[in-house]
Amino acid sequence: MSCNRMESDGMRYLDHEMTADEIAGFEKHLAECDTCRLMMEDLGRLDAFTGRMKIKDPVDTFMEGYWKSIYRRFERKTAWIVILAGASVAVLYFLIMMFREIGKITIGTGAMTVLLAGLIVLLISVIRERIHQKKADRYKDIVR
Amino acid sequence: MSNVSTDIKKETLLAWKNGSSDAFEEIVNISMTRAYSVALSLVGNAEDAKDLSQEAFIAAYRAKKSFDEERPFFPWFYRILRNRCLNFIRSRSKRGEISMDVLIEKDSGVESPERAMVRKEDAEALWKALFTLSPEHREIIVLRNFQDLAYREISEVLGISQGTVMSRLFYARKALYDVLKDRLRVEGDDTR
Repeated sequence: MSCNRMESDGMRYLDHEMTADEIAGFEKHLAECDTCRLMMEDLGRLDAFTGRMKIKDPVDTFMEGYWKSIYRRFERKTAWIVILAGASVAVLYFLIMMFREIGKITIGTGAMTVLLAGLIVLLISVIRERIHQKKADRYKDIVR
Repeated sequence: MSNVSTDIKKETLLAWKNGSSDAFEEIVNISMTRAYSVALSLVGNAEDAKDLSQEAFIAAYRAKKSFDEERPFFPWFYRILRNRCLNFIRSRSKRGEISMDVLIEKDSGVESPERAMVRKEDAEALWKALFTLSPEHREIIVLRNFQDLAYREISEVLGISQGTVMSRLFYARKALYDVLKDRLRVEGDDTR
């Protein structure tokens, strides 16, 4: 006969999440239920095995400069935001200039057209990738 | 047992929310080893884990307005970190290189070289076995067995009920047992 008490009580028993009364009750059940007893033997062995191990703390040299690195990333990200803001204003300015001088093909307007075309392609590519990532994100509902 | 509820002083959290970078530095210094360990358990590679945990701190700094200083820091931060790690795992085209020599035996003490070798092999086998599991199964085993969180705390950090914690742990352990059963049976026979 199948029994699913290992899924709840068995885990609480292994993880010391039971009261003394609950332990006594579950041990009585284990003595009577072959399914749970056999499963407990297997998972108990696994628990003893994993219980012997721990994650080694990283060596000091590895974590050295951890905070400084975070700080540097902050600075760089801020710098990128400033650069992008500046570039956006510059592009806008050149666009206005181009519209003013429409019909006059100069080296400046030609270069700007090519530059803008490249930027637009890049922007579309990034937006498309972001949309794809967002649609495929199985964890989007996780509160950040 | 480590406690996720009393990890950082409320004054420090308040100072951070009010814009103190010193307070944030203190928070990072208190939480960085744990953040790194959690990330390492999820992604498997030391450099990636360091990188992702640092990125998570930056994201946490930016999201500080959404943090409720009446609540503990780590469960809130953990969700940011976890999200980054799971997205990273999903976005990489193939399984990344897994760092070895991560798990060690507790209190191994003085022992023969042969015994030390067996212990090292056991630790490596467990670490490799963890990476045959799904990230969600690996995560719950890590939180329970290596971060020593109680069910209530796991429920809080993962935002799931305690019933789901038990159920997920059960299936994760069954899957891990299936990978390690030959080694566990030999070990069981040896200790008889």
